[in-house]
Amino acid sequence: MKPLSIGRLALLYLTLSGLLLLAVGGYFWREAQRSAEQLRAHEARAARQELATALDAALGRLKSVGDALARWDETKQQLVFPEYYTLWRDNRARSVGLLPDTVRAIGLYGLDGGLLLGANSADPLPARLPGGTPLALFKREAGIEHIYYFLPVYADPDGTVPLGHLGLKLDLQDAMRQSAPFRYADLRSLRVDLPEGTAVAAEQAMRHIHVDALANRELESFQTMLRDTMSNLLLAAAASLVVAGLLLNRLLIHPLRHLSAEIDARRAPGSEIQPHKLRALPVLELENVRESFNDYQARLAELHHDLELRNRDFFDQARHDALSGVMNRRAFDEDWRDALQDRRLDNIALLLFDCDHFKAINDTYGHHVGDLVIQATAQCLLQALRADDRLYRLGGDEFAAMLTDTDKRQAGMVAERCLEQVIGHDFRQYGMSEPITISIGIALSEAERGKCPPITLTELQKRADLAMYAAKRPGGQKIMFYTPEIGTAEALVTSRAIHAVFRAIQDPGLIEIAYQAVIRLPQMEEAYAEALTRIRCDGELFFPCDIFPIVQCRNLDAEFDLAIIRAINRDLDNGVLPADKGISINLSASGIVNARVLDAMLALLEAERGRKIVVEITETALITQMETATENIRRLREAGALAALDDFGSGYSSLRYLASMPVDLVKFDISMVRLLETGDGKQRLMMEEITRMAINAGYELVAEGIESHELLDRAIGLGFAYAQGYYFGQPGETAAGATPAGCVAPCGAGALSPGN
Amino acid sequence: MKNHRQLLALLFCLAVTAIAPPLRAETVELTLPSRLVARAEFRQGDADKPAVLLLHGFLQTHQFPTIHRLTDGLAGDGYTVLAPTLSLGLPYRAQSMACEAIHRHTVGDDVAELDAWVKWLKARKVKEILLAGHSMGSITSIAYLTGRPDRGVTRLIGISIIEGSLKHGEQSRAPLIRRLRDEVRRGRREVEQHQFSFCQQYYSTPASLLSYLEWGPERILAGIDRVKVPVSMIMGSRDDRLGADWIPRLRKTRARVIVIDGANHFMDGQYEFDLYDQFLAEVKRPSR
Repeated sequence: MKPLSIGRLALLYLTLSGLLLLAVGGYFWREAQRSAEQLRAHEARAARQELATALDAALGRLKSVGDALARWDETKQQLVFPEYYTLWRDNRARSVGLLPDTVRAIGLYGLDGGLLLGANSADPLPARLPGGTPLALFKREAGIEHIYYFLPVYADPDGTVPLGHLGLKLDLQDAMRQSAPFRYADLRSLRVDLPEGTAVAAEQAMRHIHVDALANRELESFQTMLRDTMSNLLLAAAASLVVAGLLLNRLLIHPLRHLSAEIDARRAPGSEIQPHKLRALPVLELENVRESFNDYQARLAELHHDLELRNRDFFDQARHDALSGVMNRRAFDEDWRDALQDRRLDNIALLLFDCDHFKAINDTYGHHVGDLVIQATAQCLLQALRADDRLYRLGGDEFAAMLTDTDKRQAGMVAERCLEQVIGHDFRQYGMSEPITISIGIALSEAERGKCPPITLTELQKRADLAMYAAKRPGGQKIMFYTPEIGTAEALVTSRAIHAVFRAIQDPGLIEIAYQAVIRLPQMEEAYAEALTRIRCDGELFFPCDIFPIVQCRNLDAEFDLAIIRAINRDLDNGVLPADKGISINLSASGIVNARVLDAMLALLEAERGRKIVVEITETALITQMETATENIRRLREAGALAALDDFGSGYSSLRYLASMPVDLVKFDISMVRLLETGDGKQRLMMEEITRMAINAGYELVAEGIESHELLDRAIGLGFAYAQGYYFGQPGETAAGATPAGCVAPCGAGALSPGN
Repeated sequence: MKNHRQLLALLFCLAVTAIAPPLRAETVELTLPSRLVARAEFRQGDADKPAVLLLHGFLQTHQFPTIHRLTDGLAGDGYTVLAPTLSLGLPYRAQSMACEAIHRHTVGDDVAELDAWVKWLKARKVKEILLAGHSMGSITSIAYLTGRPDRGVTRLIGISIIEGSLKHGEQSRAPLIRRLRDEVRRGRREVEQHQFSFCQQYYSTPASLLSYLEWGPERILAGIDRVKVPVSMIMGSRDDRLGADWIPRLRKTRARVIVIDGANHFMDGQYEFDLYDQFLAEVKRPSR
């Protein structure tokens, strides 16, 4: 069933109410009329009954009067001696009080039936007795109804001696009127359907008499009052219906329509979910609905707004890097797809940024400082990029910038600004003493213009990656554009180096150890040899500059340390080194705190008891996990090993740490040692002071990078206990003595120990 | 003491009435010479006792209390009693005739009816009849006895005898009588209205009224003296209808006058016993 509108329902309700009122009013009116008709009929019957009763009463009284007169002695006297009959009839009979006024005539009839001495002229009785007596007749004469009563008169009380008859003529209306007040019958309306002069028996008179009921004033008043009341009630009901209709329209229909229209409008597709307030409604329930709807709308809008914010947040979070605030890898991928769809790839330059030595920084100063470096680097890059350029953090310390509508020159300029911005940033505010540099690899899509299919993001990123690897090459430019040559060489090297590293971990037999002699000064005798790692894989020899960036990028430090230890064990077992010749082993920062590495070292110490074994540790490991590292170093020292702090002065150590180092030897980095030869007076002075201070602190010093006799002399002069370098010969004379000329750093974490 | 005796007498009568066999009360009818039928109450008494004919007063019937009480008393004492109702011109008259009725009866008519009733008694083998009348009945009786009475009537006992008086006094009686006689002589029969006797409006023919007016006091007193049987008159000392000198004047007649002290014209109340006592005493009194 189709639902009806509130307007139609209200109209139906009002119509039904009006019809019901009319029906009820009509029913009461009809009942009142029927009651009135019944009352009138009852009154008509009562009037007739009243008239009949009055007639009977009048007739009874007439008979009673007649009987009394017939028994009256004087009546008998007139029949016996009628000499004074008229006097008696006209005076005595009426004065005695027996005859009521309504008896119009009285007369005596003799035994012969004749009226004595004639009739009264005014109201004559029949001249002759009409018939047998007693006899009561009803007769209408001259418009007047009369009852004639004739009865015998006897001389004796026993009625055996007839004297004659008595005749009486009664005015019926007057008699009835005087008999009793009529409550129902209206004697004025009395009608007789008897022909003039015709007489019937009085007992049958009522058959010919008709009378109307008196007007019932109470009934008429009641009907008038009822009619007025009904009229007023109908008017009041009509007015009430009109008012009810208006009120319904104002209080219910209009608000409901308005509410419905509002809801429909909100329901319509595309409508805004806004807390658009409906006007206050006058009906409590509707107002509750309105308030609920408004509240619902408000809540819905609030939820919608909150959802939008959340979506925006989620979108932003999904597309932005939480740490740096720049867009993330997802945004990078999406933007790249958008660029592909918009065919804007023709003039895109992809810049990859990688923070040099970030892992060492992170390990040295902690993650917090590392995070600050990431954030500062991101800000520097953002400041250097153009307004429309987008910066993405792809992961770790690697950033990318997608420069649209950019040619090589513009990309180079942007990259220069980025590099200068980073270099110019004061990272000391984060507690660092070393400058931060970045390597930038740039790949351009314009070079591929006209190629089909277009270059993919992966390809472009790979090119930028290779370019950045090239930029990280020590001694090279920090900004490198991709060229097919770079792509070919670097890709091949990197791919083979990674393969070699993983195979060496699995098979330490691929690791070749080059032992570089460490010379005791000033005796100039070989004190021990530092084990330098190479991997020979598929006929190709990989040097530390190729190996350790991969090891560090892949977090393979501990595994690779174990592989090296196993390789050294192999060499020692094979007698590569004489039994009295000491050996120096480099352990990574992760390896010195690794239990397996520690156990392996302890086992080596146990196996090579009596052999001098030096464990070289980069001070960053001591800083990041000082307690564990200190404990492990203590255990290694207890086991007979000497601990050496490697790469001192390379930027990862400070004098503050030097005082508490649990080491025996301090290996000055080649950059420090070279200051003795290439530095100015101030630098040399600083070097001399540091050297003297370390010696005074009880450490034995090792000078790395001794490549000339002069430098050796200066080291000896400063009190260095040991020295190593090409001056004393190429490492790995036993195996791979080649110097790694074309070594590249695959992921930029090139904090490689020279010993490696 | 007198009252005490009366009370004893009343109790005695009540006792006798209670134990005596029921008396035969009979209403008898008599067709009068005028062809009217008159009615009377007849009580048959002891044959050895005289019959008493009691005649009622003016316009009354034999049911009038004074007559009725005497009838009952005498019948109770064994006397034959006949109490007729004069017809006064009405057949089977049983009601007191109204003053306003048309009176055409005369004293002569009354006397004739009395005579007929005496004859009726005589026909019943009554040898001795005591004629008694109350008020105007006494005059009717005197008129009868001064006429041609039956020899069986041996005594007249009048009770509260008084003439029919006019309102204007006896001085107007004579002129009225003269005028009425003239009317009668001229044959005029128009009914006249007068204040006669106890009637304020008395309608009668001239002859009728004349017949009663002619029995004035003098004629009554004279009639008493002319009656040939013993006459007794029982009068009440407090009868306000009597003239002051009436009883004394009666005493001057040959009638024996008994006055009951305190009794009125009707001798009702407690005086009905005195009346009866006196009446019975007179009945028992020897006639000769």
